[in-house]
Amino acid sequence: MSTAASQRPNGLALFILPSALLFALFFFLPIGLMAVMSVLTGNPVVMPKVAFTMRHYVRMIDDPFYLEVIWTTIRIGLVTTLVALAIGYPLAHWMARIKSRTGHALLLMAVLAPMLTGIVVRTFAWMTLLSDKGVVNQTLMSLGLISQPLKLMYTETGIVVGLVHIYVPFMVLTLTGVIGRIDERLEQAAENLGASPFRAFIEVTLPLSLPGILAGSLLVFALAISAYVTPILLGGFQIMTLPILIYQQISANFNVGFAAALGIVLLIISLILVIAYNRALGLVSGQRELQ
Amino acid sequence: MSASIEIAGVSKVYDGGVRAVDAVAMDIRQGEFFSLLGPSGCGKTTTLRMIAGFETPSAGAIRVDGSDITHVPAHKRDMGMVFQNYALFPHRTVAENVAFGLRMRGLDKVTIAAKVKAALAMVELSGMEERRPAQLSGGQQQRVALARAIVIAPRVLLCDEPLGALDKKLRQQMQFELKQLQKRLGLTLVFVTHDQEEALAMSDRIAVMNGGRVEQVGTPTEIYNQPTTRFVADFIGDTNILRGERAGPNLDVGKGLMLALPPSEMQGTGILSIALRPEKIRLSPRGDAPIAAGSSAHGIVENTNFLGGAVLYRVTLEGGHRVLVQQPNAGTSRLFVPGDSATLEWTPADLVVLKD
Repeated sequence: MSTAASQRPNGLALFILPSALLFALFFFLPIGLMAVMSVLTGNPVVMPKVAFTMRHYVRMIDDPFYLEVIWTTIRIGLVTTLVALAIGYPLAHWMARIKSRTGHALLLMAVLAPMLTGIVVRTFAWMTLLSDKGVVNQTLMSLGLISQPLKLMYTETGIVVGLVHIYVPFMVLTLTGVIGRIDERLEQAAENLGASPFRAFIEVTLPLSLPGILAGSLLVFALAISAYVTPILLGGFQIMTLPILIYQQISANFNVGFAAALGIVLLIISLILVIAYNRALGLVSGQRELQ
Repeated sequence: MSASIEIAGVSKVYDGGVRAVDAVAMDIRQGEFFSLLGPSGCGKTTTLRMIAGFETPSAGAIRVDGSDITHVPAHKRDMGMVFQNYALFPHRTVAENVAFGLRMRGLDKVTIAAKVKAALAMVELSGMEERRPAQLSGGQQQRVALARAIVIAPRVLLCDEPLGALDKKLRQQMQFELKQLQKRLGLTLVFVTHDQEEALAMSDRIAVMNGGRVEQVGTPTEIYNQPTTRFVADFIGDTNILRGERAGPNLDVGKGLMLALPPSEMQGTGILSIALRPEKIRLSPRGDAPIAAGSSAHGIVENTNFLGGAVLYRVTLEGGHRVLVQQPNAGTSRLFVPGDSATLEWTPADLVVLKD
């Protein structure tokens, strides 16, 4: 674009103002405050004499319990992302390639429909399915496949099941957009040159959809590690994740400083991922030229 | 080795009853440059895609060297294809694109490298191995697509309007090169185009398609000089089409104009259409001498269209018929201007009788 256009004051630029204000007030300011709180000895609003300290971070590193919580959170995030990808990719591919308009509308409905129900309601639904006397265990026991109920609730498996159900639509929608933009004739060209349909997918479609895989995974991972309701209800405080820990520190222990430090750690994990995502996208550079 | 293709009564009906291809039959000979020519939506691309295996015929059979391949999947057909938009793999280099088909055939690395090098040399792209498709011009991309298709030594090369996106100069050059390559390698080549000039210039034979059907199959000269249907006469080049009723050895096309029919067509009765090419009509300044009935007429030049090597005139005849007349720009004769009175003459044998 010409430099003249960018230098001239543009009236349309004013439309950015509301979102800029919103971001400053409700995004940068709170995060800044949180960062400050994480290195203070107390709350400056109620305690006039506060000093700088690193003790919240030192506590995290010294106590294996907190490292374990961080690792559990990341593990749940990773497993959720991988399962959501495995479920979401075929669905997204189907949606992107389906010829019939009605078929596409039905698939989209199926993907979006769960999002019309609140997370809490959906999580309670999973509790009725997964609990010891829930639908899954009752069915398996009446079929004689198991004698003891499987422990599905209050485990990481239960949490992952609930999280995958909630976040699969994000994965599917992100992937559908990217796969839909890949020219079908590229797959046909590969088949014409002797690649079986599966080989054509591996050689052409999969690498070209990598940006979508990365974007969808980033989104689902970030949402999964910051999830609160599902890990609490399906984990029943027996599985400790960072968001639950943060909540406890604030509401039960009134340790705002430590909670802030934990929040910063959660934020840094997400930031590292975003940076890694950008790097990875740069490496699959062929994709950029396509767009 | 190059193969022959037999298309036997092939139809393609899509869901909803659209007949894209309707009982198409043709024989494509080994080593032949065969064009499928027609307007968009005539079924030429669908026919090509059925040969490639991307579409399954609803009826009929496709045979290559006599063996039925109608239900053989695309990746086992051993055919090269150049797509309209080239369909180069954007995430791979030029060399990787060309190597793809060889890799799928499980060749060893040394052989692949040698073949890729030779193929790129053949399309004059040596030194471009490590570029990506987006870094190439349209003409270069076209050459990569061609190299990728012929490096596998396909039994048949299929081209779907491969030159459509190129500008005129480059297009003519590529037409020439493609034709030369095809002859040198003895390739059986099926070429889809909507450009009649391109088809006439390059093909050994042409199938003119319309509405899912084949109108006529023939050499370029047959298609141009002896069109058998009204559609072919109208679609290929400029032409005058007149319709009238037989009156003995003549055709009464109304408005007081009688045309003498060619000797072979003098028998019979009924309604008939004829085509007369503009360049088969001679134009001269109107004189006082009487003119031969049935093979000449008087008219007024309405407008002129200077084509460089020739001039195209639109002439209104005395009865009111409007005809196109093309005269070579020979330099010796004066050019006509709008408003000139002129005499038109033609040879009855040049009239082509059309099926509707």
